[in-house]
Amino acid sequence: MSAIFSELRASLTRNTSMTISLVVTMSVSLMLASLGMLLNAQADRTEQYFGDRLQLQVNLCTKNSPAATCIGGAATDDQKAAVRQALSDNPEVKSFTVRSPQENFAQASELLGQSETGRQQLATLGPDSFPESYFVTLKNPQEFDGVMSQVSGMDGVGNVNSLRDLLGPLFEMLDKLQWAAIATSVLLIIAAILQVSNTIRMTAHARRREIGIMRLVGASSWHIQMPFVLESLIAALASALLAAIGMAAFMWFVVYGYLRDTLGRITTWVRWEDAFVVMGWTTLLAVLLALIPTLVMTRKYLDV
Amino acid sequence: MIRFNKVSKIYPGQKRAALDSIDLEIDKGEFVFLVGASGSGKSTFLRLILREVQPTSGQVFVAGKEINRLANWKVPKLRRQIGTVFQDFRLLPNKTVTENVAFALEVIGRSKEDIKELVPETLDMVGLDGKGHRYPEELSGGEQQRVAIARAFVNRPMLLIADEPTGNLDPATSVGIMKLLDRINRTETTVLMSTHDSSIVDQMRKRVIELSEGRIVRDEARGIYGYQN
Repeated sequence: MSAIFSELRASLTRNTSMTISLVVTMSVSLMLASLGMLLNAQADRTEQYFGDRLQLQVNLCTKNSPAATCIGGAATDDQKAAVRQALSDNPEVKSFTVRSPQENFAQASELLGQSETGRQQLATLGPDSFPESYFVTLKNPQEFDGVMSQVSGMDGVGNVNSLRDLLGPLFEMLDKLQWAAIATSVLLIIAAILQVSNTIRMTAHARRREIGIMRLVGASSWHIQMPFVLESLIAALASALLAAIGMAAFMWFVVYGYLRDTLGRITTWVRWEDAFVVMGWTTLLAVLLALIPTLVMTRKYLDV
Repeated sequence: MIRFNKVSKIYPGQKRAALDSIDLEIDKGEFVFLVGASGSGKSTFLRLILREVQPTSGQVFVAGKEINRLANWKVPKLRRQIGTVFQDFRLLPNKTVTENVAFALEVIGRSKEDIKELVPETLDMVGLDGKGHRYPEELSGGEQQRVAIARAFVNRPMLLIADEPTGNLDPATSVGIMKLLDRINRTETTVLMSTHDSSIVDQMRKRVIELSEGRIVRDEARGIYGYQN
């Protein structure tokens, strides 16, 4: 084992500049890949907050609702029963779930609680200001007009939102950003793979005499490959560490330092736990990115 | 120790066989010279024994094993039983004499204790006692070849293959190297040496196998070089 480590040390010293350039390329591609994964987590968070984007959201009247159907103030039990009956009977409705004012308040607390002004607003509003809501899943999400027109005219219904219309642009933007990050990272990942291959080819050439002797005296394949594998693994882990630092900086300065405070009302933003999951996947990706080309290339160039 | 059974080798893209239906047996402890013109098939013969190439047809046996049927992962184990010496020494310039010899043991996973014991013992045997700390460039050609022989022999192989080991050496130094190979042969190690050096073959009077255009044209128990360049 000490022989392998001494080979590794010699190789790393010999290839310092090549290893650094590999780490830089790989860490940038990993940062972009992790940004793509974080955007995916963001889309999940947004979806979790708003519910299924194909749903209709029927909000009943609160005591302060301005709608004409809310003249009597908050929706009465009879009105609630009538709305539920109408939804149950409508053939276009697949299912619906009920969210109580308390649950809506809790959801809003999560969103508004992200910033100081939001927290102040929450204290002013109180749970009474939040309606009872029905989240309606349609059999055919494209045909929401019938249900919408039926319930929006009923007494006790404050408003009906199509979440599809409301959230469409947001999801579209998230999707586009995600794909842009993934596409760029794929290009960079290809560059990283080529760079791993190049590094191995050059190292194999530089060490051809040692490798020739190793093969001749009967060193096993893994013994010949091991310094290369370890070198790639070290580069991969260093890249993953840099990408994780980049991700942490993004979370600290952008998400926690800016988005949660200033854009806290749009949606719930990704949290540290999401970032840690992304870092885990990124590390795994880095290891695979380094190991697979290394194993393939060492077989090719070392003839082991 | 070595048996060739109707072994032929044709390299891809070549019409002529590098080796053509070779039948041959070399016993344990023999000292054999392999002679013949360049391109006669000597190198292919040696490479087949090392399993660096596979025969096109026929069987190659080394130490009772049919090595052309050996799984790839078993090839290193075969090579540990064979020491190899080349004309150009193939030493690592950035390692000392001791490190060069120890390298052969380190890379096959031998213990530090074994290395500490075997390396000085082998250097002493090849006549390099006290020169372990020197680098190859500080040594004469003959001394460098002794390091290469020490590296080939340090793991005590059953077979030592020497591919023109005196090709780069002057006659006086060559005699010293031959004495060393003869000494190794007396430890029951089979020695197979390809050479163009007629005086050495004539002096040693060992078994001589002559190859010409991939065929064995002569196999004498106590032969002379016979072949003229």
